[in-house]
Amino acid sequence: MNSYTENRQLPESSEFQQNLELLRQMDFFSVLSLEALKVFAYLFTREKFSPGEDLFQQDDNDGKAFFIISGTADVVREDERGEAILGKFAEGEFFGGLALLGDMRRLFSVRAQEDMMCLVMTREKFTKALEQFPELMPRVLQATVKGIRLWEKRLLLEPGGLCNQCRKKVGVSLI
Amino acid sequence: MGKVEPPVVNRSLSSWILASNLKLQALLLVVIVIAVFTRVFPLEMQKRIVNQAIRFGELKMLFRYCGLYFAAVVLSVGLKYLISVLQNLIGESVLADMRKDLYHHILTLPLSFFRKTQPGLVVSALVTELAIAGSFIGMAVAVPVTSVLTLLAFAGYLFWLNPLLAAISLSTYPLVLILLPRVQSRANLANKKRVDATRNLAGKIGESISGIHEIHGNGSYRIENRKYDKMVENLRKIRISWNLYKFGVKVLNNFFNNLSPFLIFIVGGYLAIKGRLDLGALVAFISAQEKLYDPWKELIEFYQVYQDATVGYSRTMEYFDAMPEHTLEPEDRNPYELRGSIEVKDLSFVAEGGIQLLDHINLDLKPGEQLALVGFSGSGKSTLAQCIGQLYSYTSGHVLLGGQEVKDLSKKDVVYNMGFVSQTPFTFEGTIRENLLYSCASLVDGDESVEGEAMPSLDDMIETLQQTGIFVDVLRFGLNTILLYDEHQELAAKVVRVREHFRRDFGEELADYVEFFDVDEYLYHSSVAANLTFGSPNKDTYITERLPENDYFLRFTDKADLTRPLLTLGADLCRQTVDILGNLPPDKVFFEQSPIKADELEGYKELAKRVARKKLHQLSSQDRTSLLRLALRFTPSVHKMVRMPSIFEELILEGRALFKEMISHDDPEAIMFYKTSEYIYSQTILDNILFGKSKTVNPQTEEKIHQSIIQVLIGEDLLETIVEIGMEFQVGSKGDRLSGGQRQKLAIARIFLKVPGVLIMDEATSALDNNSQSRIQGLLDSKWKGKSTLIAVVHRLDIIKGYDKIAVMKAGRIGEIGTYEELISKKGMLHELIYGKQAAA
Repeated sequence: MNSYTENRQLPESSEFQQNLELLRQMDFFSVLSLEALKVFAYLFTREKFSPGEDLFQQDDNDGKAFFIISGTADVVREDERGEAILGKFAEGEFFGGLALLGDMRRLFSVRAQEDMMCLVMTREKFTKALEQFPELMPRVLQATVKGIRLWEKRLLLEPGGLCNQCRKKVGVSLI
Repeated sequence: MGKVEPPVVNRSLSSWILASNLKLQALLLVVIVIAVFTRVFPLEMQKRIVNQAIRFGELKMLFRYCGLYFAAVVLSVGLKYLISVLQNLIGESVLADMRKDLYHHILTLPLSFFRKTQPGLVVSALVTELAIAGSFIGMAVAVPVTSVLTLLAFAGYLFWLNPLLAAISLSTYPLVLILLPRVQSRANLANKKRVDATRNLAGKIGESISGIHEIHGNGSYRIENRKYDKMVENLRKIRISWNLYKFGVKVLNNFFNNLSPFLIFIVGGYLAIKGRLDLGALVAFISAQEKLYDPWKELIEFYQVYQDATVGYSRTMEYFDAMPEHTLEPEDRNPYELRGSIEVKDLSFVAEGGIQLLDHINLDLKPGEQLALVGFSGSGKSTLAQCIGQLYSYTSGHVLLGGQEVKDLSKKDVVYNMGFVSQTPFTFEGTIRENLLYSCASLVDGDESVEGEAMPSLDDMIETLQQTGIFVDVLRFGLNTILLYDEHQELAAKVVRVREHFRRDFGEELADYVEFFDVDEYLYHSSVAANLTFGSPNKDTYITERLPENDYFLRFTDKADLTRPLLTLGADLCRQTVDILGNLPPDKVFFEQSPIKADELEGYKELAKRVARKKLHQLSSQDRTSLLRLALRFTPSVHKMVRMPSIFEELILEGRALFKEMISHDDPEAIMFYKTSEYIYSQTILDNILFGKSKTVNPQTEEKIHQSIIQVLIGEDLLETIVEIGMEFQVGSKGDRLSGGQRQKLAIARIFLKVPGVLIMDEATSALDNNSQSRIQGLLDSKWKGKSTLIAVVHRLDIIKGYDKIAVMKAGRIGEIGTYEELISKKGMLHELIYGKQAAA
């Protein structure tokens, strides 16, 4: 549609247009039609986080997904033995997509490690928007399924193989 | 009291006539008798005018008779109006009584009744079906009496004029009386079907509306449309045959009525020609005979309304002819004050269709003991809680509350001794305060006058708000309130003091998160309009929405060279927003970040087309106003579809200075500029304290700002005042302006406030975040332990350690019961629930 090409001639692009560019690079959203993509790019908001701030906390049911525009974050899990850092997210990564699809209490906290700028989508916005484009649901499901499979595949192909303990617990792609 | 009235559903339609205002009915009768006289009187005048005045050329007599004729007509019209007024008063007040009584009855019906009854159906019964019955009662006395009396009067007059002609013209009526009921009984049959079909349709509509999210979620529009269309088609057919029968009655009646003048012309004409009847008498006879038609028609119509009303009324009442399962209030005693012990003996609950939901349950709780009910979904834990709470009537066995059989207690006994928090609590339209006091207020029957002594104090309410974790939300509602100049000047002055202290104590720390109102800076979190005026309007013509039509302001934008850039900005916003939102429904979610409001979208879609075709200066002045409106609303931090050129910022800042200069000279009262020493009435309390806008949407930073504000408010002794203001927050219909968690907290708070002896919580914390859930569990473990008996249906198993007893339910039975330690060491069902199957093995 030509309004899109028209916009690109503006001297400085708006935040909406930057969001649109970013979304086109994300697996989860790249499959959408331009019309839907615009709505999602519009609904994404930007949030800043300072080092030490939580994007969300373990056991929260915040229903948000994040795309990191800049900065890094730690994945933290707390149990009786205390806190442990289990992983890391960096610039350009998208996470939390599953929480958009349905109620989910977080199993981890994600904590900003340095100054962060994120694109944030909430479950309410996502479901409302998805209702408008019902033809997207199969694609979103497909992207989710693909994500889960890839995740497990990577785990299985880990150099050095799986530890014995972990071996018994595989099979998330079989749910 | 004393006399036992039959339930409203068993009352006959005619009993309502007696129940109506009898004085009015008597007055109506008197008026009717006079009115009938005024109808017959002109006929006699008519005859005398022709036979005496005209015949003998008596002018005087002509004037006198005409005068009397005129007076009678005026009086008759006046009385007719009076009759309608009385009829209306009687009918409407009976209708109101019917609606009230039936509604009061419906509310007391058991929950099981509502499981199979759609809300829409109740609405249609109360609103539509009873209306016909109501209007019938209004006419029940007036119409038949008027019509019959008029008929008799005219008929008598006719006989007096000429018995032969009279007999001929009345000869057709008996025929009608024989045929009419036959056709009408068909109409009644059709009407019965119509009532049922209308009710089903109303139910269907109600169902679709309450399930609209499922329909959207599944895209099942076609399925629902098919179901609905089928019902509408069915109703169409029924209505057509109903109407046809009704028309049949009318046609039949018309035919016979028109037959009689025909007979009169033949016989009367013959007699007049033969000179056996004078002309005046014939004219009078024909007039009188024609007048028979009106009362007769009214009578027939009344008959039809009577039939329709009877069918509609009895069909409606039959549907709701169920009895409440429990008496509402104890007779001749105060509600029991029971000890909080619970004994469940051999309790079974069999739902309709013979499905056994509870199977011989036995339980024992001493006052103050706490029981957690856990188990798989469908195991009956909620049903058990609801049976104990008297929400369901168990089919066999016993539930004893303080030694009394729960089934036999009145509702009032139960609400006095028990508090029930349901899984999906309902929030009523109104304020937070009203919802918070809902349970307590119903203990005193919502009687305002009793308030004060029996009702909780403000301190109690605030304590409960804190305990349930909704305090901060209510405070936030309070902080987001806009104070009124006329009512809150004293408070406003205090808020200005809070502002100073906030600046002093937290200004530096929070500088990154707040955009202070700084006259030399562009405000990215405020609208263009606010950036230009940099103050709050004292005059209505200067509020943001009206600025585009304010001539003075338009002259200013011209002078400041701002008109063109603003129009360009407006056009850009219009184009971009329409491009993104053009096909979306008016949902709040989509329009929160849009300068175009949901209801304006269609207009701006058209405007966007014109903007694409024309140059800005070619647009009509109305279109330019619309564009200017968007531009003035534009708030860079919210509306992200357009990027503001930096040169525009400088233009606006210069404009701000010019505007201040101009308006201070021309109309100094119009705007109050932002000053740290003045309260800003157009802004919320929060923005007034900050003297700026919060920049963040991040909950943790918001929390930080709130904590700082709370500290300052406590210092100024204003915290309770703000919370009190927050309690006046309107929660919206069904509480839709609250989040699910807030609604659940409010539901818990209103029961806590009542301090019941027995507390039943049916997964009452399922929608809460982890912290809130732990806070409430902590409260149950400490404050309520030993005081109130607690039965909690629990979904999350990590919070049950503190309970005295845990019952694990499976397939309607209690599989095992005991303390947490006992059950875990037994490695039975609870162990399996928590650790899974493999781990148990």
